[in-house]
Amino acid sequence: MKRYVMVGGGVAALAAAEAVRRQDAGSEILLFSEDPFGFYSRPGLAYLLTGEVPEKQLFPFSAQDFRRLRLRLLHHRVAAVDLRAHVVVTAEGKEVGYDRLLLATGSSAVMPSLPGAALEGVVKLDDMQDARRILKLARRARRAVVVGGGITALELVEGLAARGVRVHYLLRGERYWRRVLDEHESAIVERKLEEDGVRIHRHAEVAEILGKRGRVAGVRLKNGEVIKCKMVAIAVGVRPNKGLAEAAGLRCGRGVLVDAFMRTGDPDVFAAGDVAEVYDPLSGRTVLDTLWPTARTQGRAAGLNMAGANHPYRRKVPINVTRLAGITTTIIGTVGQPGADKDTLGIVRGDSETWRTLPDAIAAQEGFEVNRIRLMIAGRHIVGAIIMGNQLLSQPLYRMIAGQADIAPVREQLLRPGAPIADILAAFWEQWRVQDGNRTVSV
Amino acid sequence: MSLRGAFQHERKRREALVAGYVVPDNVRCVQCGICSYNCPIGIDVRRHAWLGEPVHDSHCLTCGECVARCPRGVLRFEKTPLFDAEKNPLLG
Repeated sequence: MKRYVMVGGGVAALAAAEAVRRQDAGSEILLFSEDPFGFYSRPGLAYLLTGEVPEKQLFPFSAQDFRRLRLRLLHHRVAAVDLRAHVVVTAEGKEVGYDRLLLATGSSAVMPSLPGAALEGVVKLDDMQDARRILKLARRARRAVVVGGGITALELVEGLAARGVRVHYLLRGERYWRRVLDEHESAIVERKLEEDGVRIHRHAEVAEILGKRGRVAGVRLKNGEVIKCKMVAIAVGVRPNKGLAEAAGLRCGRGVLVDAFMRTGDPDVFAAGDVAEVYDPLSGRTVLDTLWPTARTQGRAAGLNMAGANHPYRRKVPINVTRLAGITTTIIGTVGQPGADKDTLGIVRGDSETWRTLPDAIAAQEGFEVNRIRLMIAGRHIVGAIIMGNQLLSQPLYRMIAGQADIAPVREQLLRPGAPIADILAAFWEQWRVQDGNRTVSV
Repeated sequence: MSLRGAFQHERKRREALVAGYVVPDNVRCVQCGICSYNCPIGIDVRRHAWLGEPVHDSHCLTCGECVARCPRGVLRFEKTPLFDAEKNPLLG
């Protein structure tokens, strides 16, 4: 009987376990998860903070689901991997053998080395424990400072604001998420935040987190200004947890390097999820994605291959749907903006490096305020899109971008200044999806 | 929106509720469970999204609560082929 060992308790490991079970009914599957809470929706933590969903709702798998998978969940930390002996070693020194191993160790928030960063009240949002800590602190904090960029920073801002905390959001640069959003989109988000009572400080950088009796009492900015607060939430980016793989001698770049079958340098060891650095055939480079559905797809591919299938992982056009200051926003494909984002280091959560690549494309825009579509058009194709507000066209756009729809018939119309992009796209979609052989009717 | 437009909109909406079913788009889903949490009759909509299956539960009221609450636009209504004479041999 083969033994499959998964290291990591997130969606990549779970998807791999499901895939293995489908291929190999009689095998043994062990899943090592350091997280005492087990498997839950990490992106869902944002909605736990806002109060839209209770904690117990965030667990998609019941005990019965785990039993059906015949999966043994072990809450131990794996401290080492011995590739030659085919064993993992737990922190307690116990050795567990494997036939195939999956490293799905995820990524962790980068904490800047600021004076005062170790004070109680400095938080990040990686897991359930962090979310609980934030909610507990928010009960007695009247003011909080949020530092960072990308989706997680806004989730912290909105979560804290929803709990009645007065939030000061510090931006190092001129505007929010400048590598992905354009000026207008950043302005929409910032204005909405300000309407919700969030105070935005631009060109603001923390020099020091001030403490009193071991707890956060405020921050001092580089310009000398002091903001009193009981909490400092940090979301400047994440880093793949590749330490285990590196120590084992596996080939690593920024993450654990894998081939098209999610296999690492060792034929019996696979990697998936945030920790995996995958080859992107579209750009010819290796990339990191920190997207939950992507981690699931990678985990599934890894699991199938671990069980002997020949299933290449095909990196798809990245998509994420999120709410920025309450505005539902879909980001698809390549939408990057020139210049550097000072608020983030490398990759943030819910992110894809593709989004920051500058497309060789022209932007066509439509909409106003909270109903906006931006398309990146290159040659005969749409290569990226941002849809804010009304999401009617978000699914069609994803399909047209992923399916490389030839938009030549409407290209000129789309690029005309002030063009009714939504109407043109809707009409084009109607024709295209029929040609594409897809006849589902959306209403 | 004109009165006629508003009427058309409402008519389309009602049609969707009557002849529609909820379909997930699982490239967007993060299994947060808000859909299941808000279903008035306790259908585990999230599980359907995990499996990539439409909500074919005969108890579904197509009330649209899950569609409206999903923060990521995972769920949408699609028309069932049930009332389409061309696709449903029972009506042909």
